[in-house]
Amino acid sequence: MPFLTVGLLFSMTEKNRLRNQALLRCILLPVIFLTVALLGGLRIGAEDHRFIFVAPPLVTLLFAVLLLGLFVRGAMLKIHAWFSENYSPLVNFSHALTLITLFFASALAFNSVLPERGLFFWLFSFFFLWTLANNFFSVFEPKRFLISLIVLFGVAFILKHTIVAALNAPQESYWKELAQKIFEGVTFGAFNAPAYAPATGYISFFALLLFMFGLFLLPNETIEDEIKQIAETSDKLIEAKSDEAIDVIEDEDELTEISK
Amino acid sequence: MQNKLIQIFGVALTIIYAVFIVWLYATEPKSFKEISVKAEVTTGTYQIDQQKFDSGLKLFREENYRAARDEFARADSEKRDTRTQFYIAYSFYREGWGRFYNDDELFKQGIEAVNRVISIDANFKSDDADLKMKTPAELKAELEEGTERSASDFDPRKVVRERK
Repeated sequence: MPFLTVGLLFSMTEKNRLRNQALLRCILLPVIFLTVALLGGLRIGAEDHRFIFVAPPLVTLLFAVLLLGLFVRGAMLKIHAWFSENYSPLVNFSHALTLITLFFASALAFNSVLPERGLFFWLFSFFFLWTLANNFFSVFEPKRFLISLIVLFGVAFILKHTIVAALNAPQESYWKELAQKIFEGVTFGAFNAPAYAPATGYISFFALLLFMFGLFLLPNETIEDEIKQIAETSDKLIEAKSDEAIDVIEDEDELTEISK
Repeated sequence: MQNKLIQIFGVALTIIYAVFIVWLYATEPKSFKEISVKAEVTTGTYQIDQQKFDSGLKLFREENYRAARDEFARADSEKRDTRTQFYIAYSFYREGWGRFYNDDELFKQGIEAVNRVISIDANFKSDDADLKMKTPAELKAELEEGTERSASDFDPRKVVRERK
């Protein structure tokens, strides 16, 4: 009886696992990344609170390519876990769509923390490029890379949505005028960037949070590997249960002997 | 079987959502209300606000052209209705027309408006008996002639010409 129970348990666990994996890879992850792509380019005008959609500049596509390359390098994204000859064409196509959404989510995540134009745009782009390119040539540790990614986005977010936003705010202030005087002629339009409502910062924050959550959920095992893990676990369970069954039989034999 | 359904549903949902996002970035609606208006334009179900159009037409006939244009702009916020845009272009013509000289700035705006009419429907023909120019081609020719500098500007017979 215990063997039947374990067998059923294995079958149900396998079914649930496969279903949840399909839901994650084919529905949840694409929806998360597409939402990041939508919010990453959305700004709210300061005066009339209208929607402004900012398409990602070309440099963010480059950053997205570098970021995905680093994910592959750090084994956070295993290609064979997403594309395999053993999968059906539908599965491969679905996985390809998910990875495409990851690419655009990455580009729009960068877009949400990059200033629109001017000296700050070039400065931020340079630092992003430097950090990402550096990771290709340095000793790579996935955990440290993830932390550095969070810090990178976090610092860029704070700089863009607090300091740069304050300098571009429509209200005149002493510090804004002083900064403009100091950087006059050098800013290449940094202080002529469009002013956005504070809601833009909240939208960007939520988009980045969602992006990190999506990265956290990214599976990097193949479906076969997961089934193997379940099989190994159930083998151990069956072995443990059979030992118990043998102990029970031996005890029963002893009892029979005693009763005779 | 269940997994296959999930995969098919996931592919469909991803494609639809992605197309929606690309559409948003292409059309750039400025508010939630504009999203529905732009969706109507895309699907071909867009209609102007008839009440505002009638109000604009009344002002047009009263020769209050600036107010008429405001009403027409509110009636046709997406600038997709040929009739409304034709009236806007015509209002620029009538307001800018002068017996001795024309207002070039108003005529240029009129040309922009009539170009919109041509881009939507080049074969449009107005059924308003009050308008002497019925087609966008005629109106455009009149507006362009008004902005050009030529020897005919000094023709004294121009003083007795009629506004169309």
